[in-house]
Amino acid sequence: MKAAVKSNFDAIIAGAGLIGLSIGYGLSRRGMSVLILDGEDTAIRAARGNFGLVWVQGKGAYFPPYADWTMRSSELWPKLTDELQEIDGPEIGLHQDGGLTICLSEAEMQKRFEKLDHLRAHQNGRFRFEMLDRATLKDIMPGIGPQVVGAAYCAHDGHVNPLYLMRALQNGVVKNGGVCISNTPVQDICKSGTSIRVCTKDGDFECQRLVLAAGLANATLAPKVGLRQSLRPQKGQIVVTEKLEQQLPLPTLLLRQTDEGGLMIGDSHEDTGFETSVTPDVVSGIANRALATLPGLADVGVVRSWAALRVMSKDGYPIYDQSETMSGAFAVSCHSGVTLSAAHALDLASYIAEGRLGQELDGFSQRRFNV
Amino acid sequence: MKKKHFQVVVIGAGPAGMAAAITAAKAGLKTIVIDDQRSIGGQVYRSIQANSDTPPQYLGNSYYAGTKLSEDFACCGAGYLPGCTVWQITETHEIALVYSGKAELITAEYIVIATGAIERPMPVRGWTLPGVMSVGGAQTLLKQSALGADDAVFVGSGPLLYLTAWQYIKAGMAVRAVIDITGTTQWRSAFPFAPLALMQPNMLLMGQKWLREIRQKTKIITNVKEVEIKGQSCAEAVSYTLSSGTKIDLPASHVFLHQGVVPNVNLSMATGLDHRWDQKAFCWQPVTDTKGKSSDEQIYITGDGSGIGGAKAAEISGRLAARAIMKRFGKFNFLKELYYKLRYLHCLSIRPFLDRLYLPPVHFRLPQSNDTIICRCEALTKSDIFDALASGATGPNQLKAFCRAGMGRCQGRNCGLIVQEMIAVHTSQSMAETGYYRLRPPVKPITLAELASLEGPWPE
Amino acid sequence: MFKTTTSQSGRAVHLSFEGEVIAAFDGDNVAAALLRVGKLQFRTAAKNDGRGPYCMMGVCFECLVEIDGKPNQQACQIIIRDGMQIRRQQAPNITSEL
Repeated sequence: MKAAVKSNFDAIIAGAGLIGLSIGYGLSRRGMSVLILDGEDTAIRAARGNFGLVWVQGKGAYFPPYADWTMRSSELWPKLTDELQEIDGPEIGLHQDGGLTICLSEAEMQKRFEKLDHLRAHQNGRFRFEMLDRATLKDIMPGIGPQVVGAAYCAHDGHVNPLYLMRALQNGVVKNGGVCISNTPVQDICKSGTSIRVCTKDGDFECQRLVLAAGLANATLAPKVGLRQSLRPQKGQIVVTEKLEQQLPLPTLLLRQTDEGGLMIGDSHEDTGFETSVTPDVVSGIANRALATLPGLADVGVVRSWAALRVMSKDGYPIYDQSETMSGAFAVSCHSGVTLSAAHALDLASYIAEGRLGQELDGFSQRRFNV
Repeated sequence: MKKKHFQVVVIGAGPAGMAAAITAAKAGLKTIVIDDQRSIGGQVYRSIQANSDTPPQYLGNSYYAGTKLSEDFACCGAGYLPGCTVWQITETHEIALVYSGKAELITAEYIVIATGAIERPMPVRGWTLPGVMSVGGAQTLLKQSALGADDAVFVGSGPLLYLTAWQYIKAGMAVRAVIDITGTTQWRSAFPFAPLALMQPNMLLMGQKWLREIRQKTKIITNVKEVEIKGQSCAEAVSYTLSSGTKIDLPASHVFLHQGVVPNVNLSMATGLDHRWDQKAFCWQPVTDTKGKSSDEQIYITGDGSGIGGAKAAEISGRLAARAIMKRFGKFNFLKELYYKLRYLHCLSIRPFLDRLYLPPVHFRLPQSNDTIICRCEALTKSDIFDALASGATGPNQLKAFCRAGMGRCQGRNCGLIVQEMIAVHTSQSMAETGYYRLRPPVKPITLAELASLEGPWPE
Repeated sequence: MFKTTTSQSGRAVHLSFEGEVIAAFDGDNVAAALLRVGKLQFRTAAKNDGRGPYCMMGVCFECLVEIDGKPNQQACQIIIRDGMQIRRQQAPNITSEL
């Protein structure tokens, strides 16, 4: 696909990952003409390495605006799902029946409780959780191993198929008249009268709203609109098993079963720069913990593994910023693209359309790092 | 725990692997061969040791060329781990393997990948029905289990097809028909390279003999533009359409398909080595120097896995790679080197002719019917792939993300080339521009218990 | 039907496939043993989608069977043992169809 049909759009988005597609969909459903520009098929992409959790427990325990924003997104998810269901394509498989963080020691239980208790304290009753002892957990998950001490259960948690979500969002953009072009990364940005001009190798485009949602590449793009986004990659490795009979009643932080039946098992947090290699010691550790959790999985085959780079800010919370020097330009980055997809599509897109970020996002500016 | 260390680790015990190991071990290098099959020989010399005791005549002389090689390997002093799955090669040249249910890491100074070739997929409608196998599969049954199917129909093109049909006939099996899809386009493009092919008259004469003896016992049907396999729960008939438009049904419960072999690049790609698309051979090949050294200084790729050349060329390429490694240890013999180089070039002289003659026509490389299964593991049809393309997937990895093609156990071995070409045609890109699935370890599935047995620490 | 092309001698091994006892040749792989007695379908990939061995070299992953309770065994890669209990592999129930 070499050229777009036209070169003027209401909004242009750099990046067709979960953030770009969510915002793109959100703008397109408001009747705006949208162009999403994406990088190469093999570019570093956080979105394709997503675990798929729609996770509330623990988020923002020590940063209330993030807890509020996450809860808001969780509440908006059913609405997003209903809309996306109208579009042709595979079911995105949203389940919001709760989630578990399995603890394999008393120390883990205690640590988890403290974090969630702290979160509950500033949420004015909006956030609920329960620490389940071993016996209670065993009723829910009969296969737990002898080392399992208990779990933190949160009714707000859930999971979805992140790849089908991307496909559905992209279908939605196109159905609403939007355009997505791949292999066309944004190379330069400048003002052009009252519009913003975006330059690529396949030509220039103009818009009234520009959203930078290019993941780690935002660090290089943001300065072009007078913003900064200090981001670093954090590697996470995941293994995926063959399809099994549905047997996991709820998703857990490190283990979930997809609708097709495969188990996705994680996780790691490694600071190894921009490399995405899968390493035997780490995946072996992931397998070990999975078998300590559910020993019955011993003979299940691992069919693939991958590593993806989380887009991490200094404190791990999202960055939402609006340019002061280029009116209409925004930069967005976070590492919970799935959980926040609903808030991005429905709330954030509205703010961007209106040209002004809402008050609840004030705390997320890059400026918070200038203290 | 201290890891076992070798100077040379050879992965694959076919002709290239055996030859590389023999050469390295005889030069005094601590060498081991790891193979996922239970006996040496790879595919071409499968069961060579068992068959050499009481050789069935129908396998033919070219098969028994492997006897000497296998005998030399058995006494060369290299270590040998059969029934062992290599699931990853790390950046620091550790080889992650599973042997007898337990995972282990061994280290190597040099690695020789000799994992050979796989058959090109042939997506005719009904190709997934029980009773349909690849010709290579049929030949393996013959070599390994002395088992053949009566009244089978062979469909496709290429030396392996004719050889196997010939072996079948020699073994006394009735062959219902051989449907040869080679077309005049292929003959025309191969013709200019016929003089080079004449440098290997024995190969040409052997091929002619196969065809002649096949014709004595069954019919070879040509000018076929489409093939479909019909059946409810298993293959019942082969329906073929001639270029004149006539459609004929041939009752058959065993159908063997073949349209060439391509390098098995799953291990080399998952290891992150450079590859290039070869438009003439119409397949992916690892980027190597003339001795097989890959884009990694310590990894060599030999045999059909680096480029299809046949058994003899594979054997010589194994020797050349081992000699290149020996040179790095200070052992070098100029005359022997020259000798093998010349023999290698000679072996390959017939390839330009064969590659062009037996490049499958595009209408057999690509599926014709919408309900033809493309990704066998995920049971995705041509329609399913097109739906994903319509959703805007412009590359194999985006397509994989959209519809799961390539996410099954085979990691694209069955569907990769078909999907790549479907995308190339749809997006008007070249095959090279389109690219391929991003492959990752484990190169073959291993269980969670096997993975855990490496005893990595729990993640933070 | 598959036929044996040489005069086979050697120890007979007995296994069961879907509860039926079958005789096989010592040293054979599971796939060949089943094909020899006319069992062509080894598993179901989905409803009305039966599969059997295809490549016989361990790369197609079509010949998956359940052996002695363990699923996903590549029949062409496993040597038979006396008393082996083999069952067809059924595709797991999937809640969403693409």
